[in-house]
Amino acid sequence: MAAEDDTAELRAREARARAMGGAAKLARRREAGLLNAEERVERLVDPGSFVESGLLAVSSAPGADPETTPRDGKLSGFGRVAGRPVAVVSNDFTVKGASSSQTNMKKIGHVKRVATERGFPIVFFGESSGARMPDNMGARGMGTQLGNDPQQYVRERESPWASAVLGQCYGSSAWYTCLSDFAVMRKGATMAVASPLLASAAIGQTVEPEELGGWKLHSEVTGLIDRVAETDAEAIDLIRRFLSYLPSHRNEAPPRAEPPGEIGEEAAAAIRKTLPESRRQVYDMRKMVQAIVDPGSFFEMKPAFGRPAVTGLARMDGQTVGIVANNPRHKAGAMDVPACEKCTRFIVMCDSFNIPLLLFVDTPGFVIGVEGERMKAPGKIMNFMTALQMCTVPKLSVIMRKSYGQAYLNMGGGRNSDEVMAWPGAEISFMDPAYAVEVVTWGRDVDEAERDRLRADMARDNTVWGLAEIFAAQAVIAPEDTRAHLIRMLEVHQAGLTGGIGRHRMAGWPTTY
Amino acid sequence: MADHEVAADVTGTVWKIVKQAGEAVAEGEAIMILESMKMEIPIEAPAAGSLSELRVAEGDPVAEGDVVCVVSA
Repeated sequence: MAAEDDTAELRAREARARAMGGAAKLARRREAGLLNAEERVERLVDPGSFVESGLLAVSSAPGADPETTPRDGKLSGFGRVAGRPVAVVSNDFTVKGASSSQTNMKKIGHVKRVATERGFPIVFFGESSGARMPDNMGARGMGTQLGNDPQQYVRERESPWASAVLGQCYGSSAWYTCLSDFAVMRKGATMAVASPLLASAAIGQTVEPEELGGWKLHSEVTGLIDRVAETDAEAIDLIRRFLSYLPSHRNEAPPRAEPPGEIGEEAAAAIRKTLPESRRQVYDMRKMVQAIVDPGSFFEMKPAFGRPAVTGLARMDGQTVGIVANNPRHKAGAMDVPACEKCTRFIVMCDSFNIPLLLFVDTPGFVIGVEGERMKAPGKIMNFMTALQMCTVPKLSVIMRKSYGQAYLNMGGGRNSDEVMAWPGAEISFMDPAYAVEVVTWGRDVDEAERDRLRADMARDNTVWGLAEIFAAQAVIAPEDTRAHLIRMLEVHQAGLTGGIGRHRMAGWPTTY
Repeated sequence: MADHEVAADVTGTVWKIVKQAGEAVAEGEAIMILESMKMEIPIEAPAAGSLSELRVAEGDPVAEGDVVCVVSA
């Protein structure tokens, strides 16, 4: 009889926890088209695979009512995505705005620790108002609640992290998003250090949430978000897709998908169609990437940020690769500061998770001028360069058209990639000959005959043949052979000695620049 | 009706005007072509509508961020 009573008590407590913030609040969310914390987890994980950790946990604050703090506002546990394990943290905004407090921080700490030590990804569904008050107020509140986990905000990339911003994210939800390898944001959600309300109260700034931390800001200006989604479900599906390219942890190679079969002719036709006749005309590099990689496999990161560069995951004959490319369609492919930041972050992620890099080169150089200098362009270019040189994953570069100046090095020129391939129309030099004459004659009175002589001197052979003859390119390939050649060279450069595992020398590098 | 201000995304000069004020434009259609770094860089309509205002002429220098035309959609 006692055992039955105990079981009844368990069921009652489980039911109370699963009622979350109550029927009325849950109904309002449903009417607004938002998934609740449980529904988000169900959307992510394989059916029936979720095991919750801390279902019966409640607030431990003195005097707190356990009835009003089911799960202490954050749902956590373990599930499977496409058969592989993941840890999940899903904020329940219907319980005290999913504010951070002692018990729920212990819950997050636990699943993070398990995922890190056992080797699988962590997924965060962000929707939190920040630290709970009054729990965190005063010296004792701060001393009790915060700063007691010295690993709380450390990112060493032991396993992949992915975040979705699915409501207002202030405080820890924003921090975890920024620390993640992949961040998606639903339109209408916001992410910021603090809410517009606090901005108004503390500094008298009146600002709309969208302006303070909306999807346009983060996808176009800050670059803190990798993708934007229309709905909760779409955002969660993007996380599933992101994880499909990644290994479960840094000590394994990425999973292989089914190869698409023989598609060489389609790839060749698409490459020819994309490449313009005139060397002065631009094209959209994303179309070129799509032509070369496995059909439908290109998963672009930060498409609206740093657009002179293109970054994204893809597959080549089923193998995960990371694409770093210039996009002539934007600023003629001249990389600006956001483009450098985007490339750096992406290279570090790929290197940390054993993803080979393919560099597709068509750039007149880095953007020059006042704006870039004010944004620390030299430092950003060197972050990018150092990241490329510290990589231990295979790096293969293809010079498609232009490769000029320092950008030649940053895009894998010389020994900065394991293999340099170039198309027959590629051109390589330090700068345009006309500009070079201006530079060397600056401040001097030089007649036209001398300028002509200098111009002829500067316009030395900038064709691909010079590069091939001195073995600064290992192969010159026809554009239509690019896919087949890359697949073959990926096979040559598979890291056989370590089973495809790199050295991860940038594992502790920042997640934003 | 919404007015979309279209800005140059690169510093350069206006090489060619493709569409004149008053003309209809489709989304993604080139309105003008800038020349920068010896490349022809199209400025495309952000939405289908009509080109209500053209603020530059061929040969004009433009800076990144300058509004060069307005599309009413």
